[in-house]
Amino acid sequence: MTTDILQLLVSGLATGAIYALVAIGFTLLWQTSQTINFAQGEFVMLPAFYILMAGNLGLPFWAAALIGIAVSVLTLGVLFKLVVVDPMIRHGVMPLVIATIGLAIVLKEGVKEFYSAQAQPFPPLAEATNIAIGGVVFSLQSIVNLAIAIAAVVILQFFLSRTYTGRCMQATAQNPSVARILGIDVDRMILYTFVINAGLVALASILVTPIYLAKFTNGETLGIYAFIAAIIGGFNQVRGAILGGLLLGVLDNLVATYLSTQYRNALPLLILIIVVLVRPQGLLGRVEERTV
Amino acid sequence: MDTESILTLDGVYAGYGKMTILHGTNFTVPRNAITTVIGPNGAGKSTAFKTIFGMVRANAGRIAFEGADITNLPPRALIERGIVYVPQGRNIFPQLSVRHNLELGGVAAPAQLDLAGRMEQALDRFPVLRRKANQQASTLSGGEQKMLEIARSLLLEPKLMLVDEPSIGLSPLLVSELFSLLNDIKARGVTVLMIEQNAKRALESSDYGIVLELGQTRMFDRADKLLADPRVGQLFLGGTMKTTKGAA
Repeated sequence: MTTDILQLLVSGLATGAIYALVAIGFTLLWQTSQTINFAQGEFVMLPAFYILMAGNLGLPFWAAALIGIAVSVLTLGVLFKLVVVDPMIRHGVMPLVIATIGLAIVLKEGVKEFYSAQAQPFPPLAEATNIAIGGVVFSLQSIVNLAIAIAAVVILQFFLSRTYTGRCMQATAQNPSVARILGIDVDRMILYTFVINAGLVALASILVTPIYLAKFTNGETLGIYAFIAAIIGGFNQVRGAILGGLLLGVLDNLVATYLSTQYRNALPLLILIIVVLVRPQGLLGRVEERTV
Repeated sequence: MDTESILTLDGVYAGYGKMTILHGTNFTVPRNAITTVIGPNGAGKSTAFKTIFGMVRANAGRIAFEGADITNLPPRALIERGIVYVPQGRNIFPQLSVRHNLELGGVAAPAQLDLAGRMEQALDRFPVLRRKANQQASTLSGGEQKMLEIARSLLLEPKLMLVDEPSIGLSPLLVSELFSLLNDIKARGVTVLMIEQNAKRALESSDYGIVLELGQTRMFDRADKLLADPRVGQLFLGGTMKTTKGAA
């Protein structure tokens, strides 16, 4: 019984860590530029196809993955900011939200139309074997995914808190007008967050796609889960997004096993409703003070 | 005028959208002195500061710093020339440590500058900030936060400091401390241009005063003369003066 729970916990954490990566990106974009990206799920779906396309050219997986990440940074980071966010945010948060919903549809239908409507196999980082640690059997893939996601979060946190540029980014998120007054290049810091978000979704794509296969609809649930993870954790906190993602992954796994797989999709929404009712700023969030 | 000026506004027009706040504002700021800008709400005091600091666009006129045209330069370029701006209200990064807040005063530092050395000097000058250097800035009291903002703005040893309503929300004791701090800053060769709602107290610790009304300079004189002027007394220092808060 306890070994079952341990296994479920680890596989839940492994999925949750991927949600967390996506939710962190979501939160960073909101913090620095008030961008609510409803195409975030599609941003996770797409890099896998970049990598498949690079692989179709005959490249080995690692090279295809690097190219996929680079193209993601360029398109989902830099181009997304310049072509979609910058022109729309001038008109307010809502027009941008609508634009990202439109973008999500374009990306989804684009992949379906120009690549394939069929699910494509995607090479996993780890073999589909199990390993036993102290008598408990874990899937190697879960362990590897969890380790990579944790490493990415640690590196990101290190960058944000221990480097001068990282702290300039935090300053931009916490108080953009004062950041500008101190001479911080606010636009550049915002661009960096878009680049980081693109890197995070590309990584999440590499980790998650072997499990679900590469399919144009992959973003639908992922986007919602990341959005909900960001909200229940606290929309304005990176560590909130981590907590929200992990919590969702673990609970999702437990519910699917012990209650019913039919209700697993309802669970995130249920948690969302409870958090919004009981603690609207999120589990770790702060109440936002925004002045006009 | 008998003293050398560091900053000059010449016929500056500026505002927000179609609302013009500054209607050809002229004034000069004497070097190595504290000059306080007083005036009723809506007179354009804060707008003048934002226009000087490149946060609000000047549509006409000229702003000169040490003789050079700085009209509509962005904040970064102004910091590099030696101007800093401490706006109204709270201007800290609440979730960064006090040390890291202070350090961001050096964003525009030239590459060869010994920023760590400057940080140590600043922490020596403000012992309360050293004591709390590793705490989140949000844990500081209102007065300490203002100290942090001022210490941060002094990190690159500016020539001119624009301070907007530094005394808001501070206890009378802290207000005295603040004004004596500004005098120390002046003694170190920094020119201070300040907006104050607390006009009488501010003028008492200033060298010069500017009276701004409807975006135009009504008076400019030595602070003690303005304090003694019955018109100023009636308008801004007497019992009839409204002390309602608000962005001007």
